[in-house]
Amino acid sequence: MFGQLVVSGIGQGSIYALVALGMTILFRVTTVVNFGHGELFMFSAFVIYLLLNAFNVPYALAALAAIVVLFALGSAVERLLMRPLQGAPHMALAMMTVALSYLLRGVVRMAWGGDVRSVPPMFDFEPVMLGNVVLAAQDIVTIGATLLLVAVFFVLLQRSRLGKLAQAATDSARGAALIGLNVPAFHRTMWGVAAAVAAIAGILVAPVTLLYPDMGAGVLVRAFAAMTLGGFGNLGGAVAGGLLMGVLEQLAGGYVSTAMVDIASYIVIIVVLLCRPAGLFGRVERVRV
Amino acid sequence: MRMRWLTLGAIASGVMAIGLGGSARAADPGLTKDSIKIGVFGPMTGPAAAFGHAQLGIRAVYEDLNEHGGINGRKLEVVLEDTACDPAKGIAAAKKLIAQDQVFLLHGGSCSNVVMALKPDVIASGVPYVVATAANAAITDPVAPNVFQTVATTATMGRTMVDFAMTKPGAKRIAVISHSDEWGKSGHDPALVELKTKFNLTPVADVTFERGSINATPQVLQIKGANPDFIVAFLYPAEFAIFVRDAFKYGLTVPTMGSQAISIEDTAQQVGNPAIMKNVYVFYPLAAQIGEAKLARWVDIFKKYNPGVRVETNGLLGLGGAEAVIEALRRAGPDLTRAKFIAALDNMHSFDSGVLAAPLEFSPTHHAGMNGGATITYVGDKLVLIHKFTDVQK
Repeated sequence: MFGQLVVSGIGQGSIYALVALGMTILFRVTTVVNFGHGELFMFSAFVIYLLLNAFNVPYALAALAAIVVLFALGSAVERLLMRPLQGAPHMALAMMTVALSYLLRGVVRMAWGGDVRSVPPMFDFEPVMLGNVVLAAQDIVTIGATLLLVAVFFVLLQRSRLGKLAQAATDSARGAALIGLNVPAFHRTMWGVAAAVAAIAGILVAPVTLLYPDMGAGVLVRAFAAMTLGGFGNLGGAVAGGLLMGVLEQLAGGYVSTAMVDIASYIVIIVVLLCRPAGLFGRVERVRV
Repeated sequence: MRMRWLTLGAIASGVMAIGLGGSARAADPGLTKDSIKIGVFGPMTGPAAAFGHAQLGIRAVYEDLNEHGGINGRKLEVVLEDTACDPAKGIAAAKKLIAQDQVFLLHGGSCSNVVMALKPDVIASGVPYVVATAANAAITDPVAPNVFQTVATTATMGRTMVDFAMTKPGAKRIAVISHSDEWGKSGHDPALVELKTKFNLTPVADVTFERGSINATPQVLQIKGANPDFIVAFLYPAEFAIFVRDAFKYGLTVPTMGSQAISIEDTAQQVGNPAIMKNVYVFYPLAAQIGEAKLARWVDIFKKYNPGVRVETNGLLGLGGAEAVIEALRRAGPDLTRAKFIAALDNMHSFDSGVLAAPLEFSPTHHAGMNGGATITYVGDKLVLIHKFTDVQK
């Protein structure tokens, strides 16, 4: 049972990691915690559902279209909802993302009701057997995509000029503008990128989780726990936190009580904030005054 | 104390029905010499609007009755209110129907939380209330003199599911999986009592699976480790589909039964693998499948008065109650009063509505009328209705 729980936890944790990754990218660049990220993830799943069922679009094309739609949606959110709040307190920005989450949920509910829907699996491979341990094809793909994405964004944000620009825009928007960076356009693009990452999560996860308007809420809480565990703003930390969260949940459910699965994430958030507020991989920020 | 209250209630309704007969009854609100006003309410909008199809069905049966001459010389006048599955709106709707529209009786409610919220006002009003499809056992337990349920309650469902599981030859090891919320417990707890009292068994595994969860691995592995003969599941549709899918993935191929919250066709579509459905059974509240001749009359009525609305289980589920209301009005006679109507329901025994899988059975101390149900399962690619596990060989 231990091996199966760990493997299943890694698969499950990859989902949390993907969602946490999108939120971390946005947080790194804009310092905004997007409480609507779970709904972006949900919305992308419904975009695929719409394209597959109403327009009979091939799966790969539907997935690509979902990424494009979510990129556009993310950019529009920045331009129409977030930019007018530029300079407003963080609480106002957070409340705007909360409002966005309920808005998206409501839109989906109006269009499709509250019923549970499904999309077919992307890959119809047989599960891989590691002794008695089952590893589903979908889990392998999700784990692979997570690792690939974190590698890509690590290079982009840590080792490229883009990363330096992001750091500049975050540290001092005015300073970044003075050296020629179009900060609003940069933020708009990064909102789009974060939403596109949510779309990738939705594409990979929709066949596993089933679709309904509230599907993003539970995953979002786990993603927050993953970010807290790994360290807010740390890409590798978000992914490691997600994977740890997944394994922790499964082991707690398997060996302690199945009721623990649902509360494990809250316990993690509380314990980490009390014992190591910067998370496992985060650094304590010190500001010289 | 409770018995004394019930007895007093029964005596009071009897006295009102028998002792005060005749002309005084004309004073009951919602009643004229040629009409009976009925307040129908349910979630017609909002996320639970699909449950509102039950109200559409109920209204259709009443309209059909009117077209065929009414009952005892009176036509039924339906006033429909929307609750949106919101307790506050439900209370407002019930108060409006009682105080402003002055209906003779209430027939509605598909969300248990709404019905539980408005129940105190309805009990205080004394207006006869036939619940549409809300299934929480606490609606009629303890019994209120004027509140009746006409679908299987969650307690009935829990007991029936255990009884069905035990029809599997040699079944001794029953596992239970449920949500830990009020709804889950309202099926889970009576199921465990049934298992203990009727079969002297305790579940070999009793695990929870929370709403919104997307992976059932720990639950499946725990149940698999207990080596059960049968699994009884009190889960909502998404979680049920995830559980049976994960069970199959990990080689747990034990018969698994879901509650009446589950549509077996939807589950089949959600899991996307017919092999998984070989072991899936679902509590089924109707007397036949929707395409079968036995339900043709009600399907036709529903379609006639609700053109364009898809006929599904929920739409027909309230019709058993509508038939019971009509029968109680008929039995109460032309000299109709609320007390006579309540007395007629209190004395309704083994009433076959034609729609529901079990007859309705009421008494002054028992207002949860439907005390059983059928089971639906796939045999090959066909759905069949069964009452015992051995009714089909899969």
